[in-house]
Amino acid sequence: MSAQFSHLDLLEAEAIHIFREAAAQFRKPVLMYSIGKDSTVLLHLARKAFWPQKLPFPLLHIDTKWKFRDMITFRDKTVRDFNLDLIVHTNEDGLKRGVNPYDHSPSVYTDVMKTQPLKQALDKYGFDAAFGGARRDEESSRAKERVFSFRSPGHRWDPRRQRPEMWNLLNGRLGPGETVRVFPMSNWTERDVWRYIARENLDVVPLYFAAERPTIVRNGQLLVIDDDRLPLQPDEVPELRSVRFRTLGCWPLTAAVASTANDLESVVTETLGARTSERQGRLIDHDQTGAMERKKQEGYF
Amino acid sequence: MTAVTAIRREATAPALKQELDGILHLLTCGSVDDGKSTLIGRLLYDASDLSDDQRALIDKSTTASGQPDYSLLLDGLVAEREQGITIDIAWRYFDTDKRRFVVIDSPGHEQYTRNMASGASHADVAIMLVDARHGVKRQTRRHAAILDIVGVRRVILAVNKMDLVDWSQEKFRAIEADFRKLTLRFGFRDAIAVPVSAVTGDNIAHQSEHMPWYSGPHLLEYLEKTQARDVAPRGPFRLPVQTVLRDGVDFRGLAGTVASGYVSVGDRVTDVLSGQSAHVLRIATMDHDLEIARQGQAVAIQLDTDIDVARGAVISAADSALPIVAGQIEARIIWLWETPFDNANGYLLRTGTDLAPIADITVSSLLDLESLAVQPATTVEVNDIANASITLGRPIAVDTFADNQPTGVFLIVDALTGASVAGGVITAATAGEASNEGAFHLTRELLTRGLCRDLGESDEDRREFQRRANEAALLLQSAGVQVKIDI
Repeated sequence: MSAQFSHLDLLEAEAIHIFREAAAQFRKPVLMYSIGKDSTVLLHLARKAFWPQKLPFPLLHIDTKWKFRDMITFRDKTVRDFNLDLIVHTNEDGLKRGVNPYDHSPSVYTDVMKTQPLKQALDKYGFDAAFGGARRDEESSRAKERVFSFRSPGHRWDPRRQRPEMWNLLNGRLGPGETVRVFPMSNWTERDVWRYIARENLDVVPLYFAAERPTIVRNGQLLVIDDDRLPLQPDEVPELRSVRFRTLGCWPLTAAVASTANDLESVVTETLGARTSERQGRLIDHDQTGAMERKKQEGYF
Repeated sequence: MTAVTAIRREATAPALKQELDGILHLLTCGSVDDGKSTLIGRLLYDASDLSDDQRALIDKSTTASGQPDYSLLLDGLVAEREQGITIDIAWRYFDTDKRRFVVIDSPGHEQYTRNMASGASHADVAIMLVDARHGVKRQTRRHAAILDIVGVRRVILAVNKMDLVDWSQEKFRAIEADFRKLTLRFGFRDAIAVPVSAVTGDNIAHQSEHMPWYSGPHLLEYLEKTQARDVAPRGPFRLPVQTVLRDGVDFRGLAGTVASGYVSVGDRVTDVLSGQSAHVLRIATMDHDLEIARQGQAVAIQLDTDIDVARGAVISAADSALPIVAGQIEARIIWLWETPFDNANGYLLRTGTDLAPIADITVSSLLDLESLAVQPATTVEVNDIANASITLGRPIAVDTFADNQPTGVFLIVDALTGASVAGGVITAATAGEASNEGAFHLTRELLTRGLCRDLGESDEDRREFQRRANEAALLLQSAGVQVKIDI
């Protein structure tokens, strides 16, 4: 007997349910918007959950100032098109101290320019819940993550004290000083994200599609040079190559893949057939064993 | 059949917009020694769309016995890898050509009963693992009992390590017979035993050549065919209201996910809490309106008359069995938290979308999971399964678990820490107010006079009103006053 709904129908309904539960249970939620494909899907699901109302919470973008220019353009257009409220926050102190993705190790850079400002912004605006697009299939420590992921004061994640979640019941009662990260796409895979983008005909940042871009090869990884801030070695001469991204982050830390897939259909086909997991392209996750687990304990998304 | 029928992507050109035929949630339970992580790792390795880097990780690895370490695909947290045991539930996702599989890997040790129970509550099917050398153990019995309690109706006994008993049919049949005896005691709809070897891959994703005497399905074959819990909406229509959505003009949509059954435009529906009925005028989604909303769909329902319905209500079909408006419930609860039950503590009861203060929990007995005998008891602590009677501060709309699973479950929430201290299923519900005579009536008038005088009639204010009523009741209860919320 065939199922009544496809797996995407079920995943969509589950995400809408989670959004509505969180919005009803928390005092002041915010949607963590990082501009990439997961955020695009997350935002679309949020709009579906509250239609025909305007989104009952703002978007928060942690800007490290090292995002690809195409990402910022896309962000601003999205906010205009859907009449959204956007908060952009940067760790000005880290910026002043000159913390950047090439002089500092990925773990220091991530902590100062991503984790710290995220915590600053959540505290500054008093958000008690933050929606994120994290998926359990991304990485092994995320595989144990809850849909409502509680953080103790200081936004720390304690894998040993996670609340059990049973059936589809979501308990959002906060303990003293606690906040929560909410993951409506917990049960999605990378392939689902692309399938859903295709099904719903969603716009994504053009960087996901192959184009001739100025690239260098560093440590065996293809880097697209987005501006002139990254100091290059004498032998690193930017060359035009046809590349695209599977995942988007800060440009000096995000490796591109050689590809000619320049439309949604070919990207989806390439992704459905992909033989490596997506975070291969994220340099921060390879820093050390258990890197993500440690970052999460410190408050990273 | 070839040795490995791995579904390789190049062999099956993926279609754009490929949507899989539903989702099967698969729980795995058993102890470390039974080779649970290895079994699932093997299933992923042989039958799924595993990526090349993950495959390479396995190919590079070796266990003490010189085999690839398939369990690496499962055990997540650093602490767990170091200890070599699974503590928490881990979620894994894989696709075959037919289906999305969600593997819920749960710990087997007795001290993690709570994790297994919470994992099992999400499962459509459970694989119980035993070692062919040892057969059905006390632990297997315990696991079966937990599965039954949380509502898993399909179980597979994977008799693992058949290679270590020379693929003996006799051994397998003896274990299978024990398993049959065991399953008769529970409400399983479907229970089969499969002889496997996770390390060699026999009967995991391909038929074993070592056991021609076994004519049943191999593990993957069974999993691809069996029904998920989501298919075929059963039971009466129930829509727990999550929130009310408005377009600022004339649309007022009761938003929620259909918990069971279905509803069509024109149907007469009832909110049992307020006792009001109306007809469904519109079933709206952002994409388009629907004629019918079925179990699992997230919708917003507009009624033809604006009856006063808010979050926590359960919209039901007016012409069939209605939910019980219960002030008192009998339940089987699984204590999930390290802090034991303490009646002096304040607790709340969370159903799908409602939250009510608990006036009293009286534990009557504990269930011994191995003998399935009931021992009289008055308290309950972590990993215990107890029968309890719960008196609520105000009536809520529920069903018994036997009548309708989705609206027959709840969590007990610690009012102070917010922790989900227990999960429960409703075995009986008493209609009407609980009979706690002499209880203080916390009325709308009392609250409006002071505590809630700043609140109006908007949805947000009404939610806040409810919240303050709950908190006031909890405070009074902790001061020793029996409270009945009457708003």
